[in-house]
Amino acid sequence: MSESVERLPQGTPALRLHRQLNAIWATGPGWQRLAAVNHSVIGLRMMVTSFAFFAIAGLLGMLTRVQLATPNSTFMIPETYNQVFTMHGSMMLFLFAIPMVESFAVYLTPKILGTRDFAFPRLTAYGYWCYLFGGTILTVALIAGVAPNSGWFMYTPLSSNVYTPGINSDVWLLGVTFVEISALSLAVEIVVSILKMRAPGMSLDRMPIFAWYILVTAMMMIVAFPPLILGSILLEVERAFGLPFFDPTRGGDALLWQHLFWLFGHPDVYIIFLPMAAVLSTIIPVFANRPLVGYRAIVVAIIALAFLSFGIWVHHMFTVGIPHLALAFFSAGSAIVAVPTAVQIFAWLATLAHGRPRWDVPMLYVFGFFFIFVMGGLTGVMLAIVPFDWQAHDTYFVVAHMHYVVAGALAFPMLAAFYYWLPLLTGRTAVHRLSVPAFWLVFVGFNLTFFMMHLTGLLGMPRRIYTYHGDEGWNWLNLLSSVGGFVMTIGFALVVIDLFVQLRYGRRVRRNPWGSTTLEWAMSIPPASYAFASIPHAATTNDGSAPGELAVSLARGEGYLGSPRNGWQEALGVHKTSGVPDQLIILPNPTYLPLCTALATAAAVLSMLFKFYWLSLGFALLTVSLFLLAAQSAGLARDYGPLPIGRGVNVPPHTEVADAPASLALICTLVADGTLFTSLLFGTFYLWISAPNWTTAITPEPSRLLAFGAVAALAVAAGAARGSLRTATAGGEASGWIGLAVIALLVAIAAAVGQIAGVVPGPREHALGATAAALLGYVALHAAIGVLFLVSNILRERAGFISPRRVLDLRLTRLWLDYTLATGVIAMGLVLSLPALVTVLGVRP
Amino acid sequence: MSERPVPPSHFVWLAAGFTVWCSALVTLYAIHGIGCAFAWSAGSLRLWLVVSLLAHLVVLGWMWYGISRVAPYSSFGPTGVFLYWAVTGTFITALVATAITFGPPLLLTTCI
Repeated sequence: MSESVERLPQGTPALRLHRQLNAIWATGPGWQRLAAVNHSVIGLRMMVTSFAFFAIAGLLGMLTRVQLATPNSTFMIPETYNQVFTMHGSMMLFLFAIPMVESFAVYLTPKILGTRDFAFPRLTAYGYWCYLFGGTILTVALIAGVAPNSGWFMYTPLSSNVYTPGINSDVWLLGVTFVEISALSLAVEIVVSILKMRAPGMSLDRMPIFAWYILVTAMMMIVAFPPLILGSILLEVERAFGLPFFDPTRGGDALLWQHLFWLFGHPDVYIIFLPMAAVLSTIIPVFANRPLVGYRAIVVAIIALAFLSFGIWVHHMFTVGIPHLALAFFSAGSAIVAVPTAVQIFAWLATLAHGRPRWDVPMLYVFGFFFIFVMGGLTGVMLAIVPFDWQAHDTYFVVAHMHYVVAGALAFPMLAAFYYWLPLLTGRTAVHRLSVPAFWLVFVGFNLTFFMMHLTGLLGMPRRIYTYHGDEGWNWLNLLSSVGGFVMTIGFALVVIDLFVQLRYGRRVRRNPWGSTTLEWAMSIPPASYAFASIPHAATTNDGSAPGELAVSLARGEGYLGSPRNGWQEALGVHKTSGVPDQLIILPNPTYLPLCTALATAAAVLSMLFKFYWLSLGFALLTVSLFLLAAQSAGLARDYGPLPIGRGVNVPPHTEVADAPASLALICTLVADGTLFTSLLFGTFYLWISAPNWTTAITPEPSRLLAFGAVAALAVAAGAARGSLRTATAGGEASGWIGLAVIALLVAIAAAVGQIAGVVPGPREHALGATAAALLGYVALHAAIGVLFLVSNILRERAGFISPRRVLDLRLTRLWLDYTLATGVIAMGLVLSLPALVTVLGVRP
Repeated sequence: MSERPVPPSHFVWLAAGFTVWCSALVTLYAIHGIGCAFAWSAGSLRLWLVVSLLAHLVVLGWMWYGISRVAPYSSFGPTGVFLYWAVTGTFITALVATAITFGPPLLLTTCI
């Protein structure tokens, strides 16, 4: 995909530049493809992989419809049906929906921002491999007949050891967590790249609306995924080692899982929707021939939607026995979330109403979306009302609503995006004779399938049942649903055929066939590996400039970084708000390290799955070592000072500035980590107040000496990290301070582990001890990671990567150790407070 | 580009309004959970809830008042003006959302 459609004459400056850049940026042939780190390559791979999982999940959906088409069906036995519907939901959500929207973000975001790649290409590649391996584990489990079978949200106690003693639940917990690592790493990547790597001049007010949506979505992912990751870890620890977080007989509470799951699960709906809204906000103005109405209002609506979506997780739990007053908070929140959504819908309608709309295939899907999403949104408001939810809960009405909101809001904009951006990927246009009937088949099939489910739900059909008797009045509705499912599948099959026909016979198009104003069209199509031969200056408003004219100028190298240097993969870093260039970012070349690291991670997960815990620990250490190895080659081994980047501007390399992408990446990581820690605190307090048997547990007696010792050691380590930074900045030798910090952290780890060994009641006996052990384990783990930071500092200082100008490594270590100290103080404080908390419970009436 | 660049810390203000909304949710839900678990009287529980809600509304009102007293950040150019209006928008919507989401439920019975 690195060849331009619009070939320029031999020997022109543009062609010369293309050859030079291609030699630096292109992924090699054959096995070297496995070393790819380029966002275009990874984005395409993610897209193809997610569609492969979509096909598998769709097939599973068809199997459920065959089973339910007629009453008393013996097509599948109950156990098979459980695995099939669980994997249908899990694959659609975790292996298709989230990765698919991410793949769009990965492929398009750098191009729309006018940059050459993401900030951390190796992390992009690692994320992709984790996704592929995690998905493969789940798929192989399905083929082997040991797939998860407790529903896609894995409610405890059904998914606990007692009711699911096999490895089915472990496959879900480990496989999905593996995929979530991928999602989180990509989210961090996206936030950093949008804030730090836009085209120069692209200030926040000039940023394409697509980037606003993706930025907010990535931020949501950073906060939404940790609660589920924590829940999965706690449940896996309960299943593997017997720590009873969710077992009410030993002081746990099954409802804690529901809270942790839906703290992720509800925002996840918007994590899927917002990137698709980004697509709509990009496509609609192009086809309406006018700028988007209400740019500012939409930005406010996106932010509102992001926050509100987190505050309504309990609306999935209206029937679990929470008092009315608390339910009303979440009911009102669930209804009010419709307002910022409606702001966007009206903005799109106003754009169309005030423009001169033209029809093409993408617009068919846009109108399909309006119909489907408004219906799904309205049934969502119905379900937000508690009395109605009590009637419809766990019926097919919810299944219908969920498919209208998630599947409809995803599938139709996705296909609109597909047809809109395929010319960018392939250089060809769709074949209308196939595209239009494909749309109608998908649209009619979708509504036939899922509209009927509203009715079966209102007639009382519970979800997840594998068959029914036939005298309930559901027969013809289920049959129609199943017929609709097949019609929809034929439609999707036609879309796939259309794609192949387009690739083979589609009419070749020139650059920017739709007359768009965003920067992804200001390049050769299909895009070259370096995306832009030189980086544009975004001098106009957020509507962008005329990509056609700009592309020629950029291809000639008339933008920034128009001449290669030192064989470096160069991109520009900018000030976060103004978009003024402030650093030259040198990106890493293709490497097998992401693949090797993901393989080691997969081996750790598989060893855990088959209960080889020591082996798993070994592979986990190998994974960490590979990360450490990757860090050794990052950056530059000498000072360069300001370097020319074109247009008369000089900026220092990213290794010599305080605001390097890695700083922001670590802040994002700590936000995710802090959310996980906060979820752990929430879990502790939740069990304290809600779980049974806490008053009858043995009163804990945590060691004050060890707790204060651990906190003091963490404080010394944080202080030593500051000392190392000060010394290195002044030109001194920092290794003494680093050594002190290592010793202090080892003391902190020993103190925390010593406390875990003495936890009373025992972590396997009671949730009180289990939560104390989890809090202490969190502190020990972070101190251990701090040691790795310091080891890396020592190695890199010796290799010449640290100088008075290049102190980024030491800044990152200081930040990590400050965080470890802060969370350590809170965790130790809570552990010391547990006896008092238990005593307080004793005086309850 | 003659205007000063907007400090990146101003960007964080876009999240401030709804962070207060989140704080209101967490505080009210926690007080309600603790009050019901420890069988506080309906009157005192409701009082705590109302006081907490009012405190959050006052904070949001103060934030809105604070930003409305300063002119749009024109010294920062169009980016400053954009951020000013966007931040103001989030403050107002967060205030309205807090009042609507958490106000009426406080009239309901407390722990049933």
